[in-house]
Amino acid sequence: MPIPLYGFLQGDTVGLLILADESDTLKALAGKLQDAASLRVAARDSVRLVYNDKIMDQAMTVAQAGFEALDRFDVVSG
Amino acid sequence: MLGREEWLPLARKLDWDYSYVREDEVFPEVISGRPWLPHSEWKDWEESFKTSYREYVENQYEKDMAVQAVRDAVGRIENVEKLAAPWLNGLKVHAAALPLAEFTGVIGNLRGARFGRDSAWRTMATFGALDEYRHTQIPLLLFHPLLRLDSQFDWAHKFYHTNNWFAVAARHFFDEITTGQNAIEFHIATNVVLETGFTNLQFVGLASLARESSDHMFERMVTSIQTDEARHAQIGHPVLATVMKHDPRYVQYLVDKWFWRNWRLFSILTGLSTDYLTALDQRPYSFKEFMEEWIIDQFLRTLDEFGLKKPWYWDLLLDELDIYHHMIYASAYSYRATLWFNFVIPGPRERKWLRQKYPKYWDDMDAVWEQISERWRTVGPGPENELAVHGTAMPTFCDLCQLPLSAGTPRKNTARVQVHDGRKYIFCSEPCQWIFLHEPERYASHKDIVKRVLSGEAPAQLPNLLTEYFNLTPETWGKDVHHGDYEWLKDRKDSAA
Repeated sequence: MPIPLYGFLQGDTVGLLILADESDTLKALAGKLQDAASLRVAARDSVRLVYNDKIMDQAMTVAQAGFEALDRFDVVSG
Repeated sequence: MLGREEWLPLARKLDWDYSYVREDEVFPEVISGRPWLPHSEWKDWEESFKTSYREYVENQYEKDMAVQAVRDAVGRIENVEKLAAPWLNGLKVHAAALPLAEFTGVIGNLRGARFGRDSAWRTMATFGALDEYRHTQIPLLLFHPLLRLDSQFDWAHKFYHTNNWFAVAARHFFDEITTGQNAIEFHIATNVVLETGFTNLQFVGLASLARESSDHMFERMVTSIQTDEARHAQIGHPVLATVMKHDPRYVQYLVDKWFWRNWRLFSILTGLSTDYLTALDQRPYSFKEFMEEWIIDQFLRTLDEFGLKKPWYWDLLLDELDIYHHMIYASAYSYRATLWFNFVIPGPRERKWLRQKYPKYWDDMDAVWEQISERWRTVGPGPENELAVHGTAMPTFCDLCQLPLSAGTPRKNTARVQVHDGRKYIFCSEPCQWIFLHEPERYASHKDIVKRVLSGEAPAQLPNLLTEYFNLTPETWGKDVHHGDYEWLKDRKDSAA
């Protein structure tokens, strides 16, 4: 069951609904948001994912990081 | 026969003591508003116009004839066809948002006409209701026939009857401020904040924009409406002054709440028209300059007159003057098929002007427009490529204002998640969260567009959402006015090659 999340990409003008799978790594999750916002924000190679005000290890999965439906995460330049 | 000065005060101030029913049954707090006060506290309610019905009808007739004369002279389809394409699309925004919003003003004023606490207030609210009915009829009369020119003008009638995301946001606002509101909050929120604070002056600004854009029909319409607003807006001031004597904290809350809610909606309606949908050489000022000169200073003077403080979020609001409507416009452009009007990309000349007017955050906005332009450059111009230069992921919405989560800056979006009674909500900004938490019973059960999609009430796939839920068709949904065919984009492509 996909988990709906509020994703905010630094440089973008609007938050986007991102559907994450529990098994997605946070790197993949960051990639999903970057793809979804690519019309407005140029892709960056180096980014960090912020969740609950913490910079997350992008090797973790969405389940390991404890994401719940309708949580907010941010992808910022890193 | 009594002369005017003899009968009019008697007719306006026709209150009496009730003998077979209690006053609080005639004017229940739930619909008359709080604080509930006996009529002795309202008996000095007064306004300066003191119009009789006969005078009202005579004045309105004159104004209607003036609108009709301008319509006959310059309101024909061939006149409208000559207007610049961006301005025509700004007209479509107002054609949809204005008429039936004004009709909700009829309902609010009729509530004041029955449940206002003094007879002079009720008399004036009756005129206010007639005014708002006029403000419904005139734009419908002027805009809907333009359907023959462009099917997007169909939204003059249709807008509020749809679940289009912007209609949901506008309805959320107008249902609260007018349709479902008690008489006291209605008159403070509508007359003092919306009309005195925003629309009365906004219409002066819009008339000036229309004049610069050679749209004399629209200029006449908003000028005519504004003269009514200036009169019936006076109802709210003595209401506010009376409540202020008994519960100043409540008045401060109402003013803070409604100024923010008004700002959210009107920054979009007026901000987009001023800075994007008016041709560059026809812009008399930027939206920020207009706000500072016409809205901000005047509103602060009004607050001062009543002994009220600036809203607690004032610094945040001033900061938003530099960025909020730009964030909304870029987001809306990239989801333009979800709306009923067309957009333009600001070209190099426009972006230079915007940088000059909005130096604080323009670098970040410029990067967004560069990226969108690059997409058009890659796929090439043409109507067939519209959806290749369009967002695909679902944008998200605030659980209070119902507008996109586009507050803050591109560097730091200010959206915030809040759990209330076990349910998760998201707000675009601290003031929207603050309003929600003051009156959760009023807002908590409303679902924004994302929650409707997630619960299965609205389709998740964009094409189905557009056609089945937002009531759009491929012919009417928003597009780029030039389908990406901009001279400056070609120049850049040539120079890149």
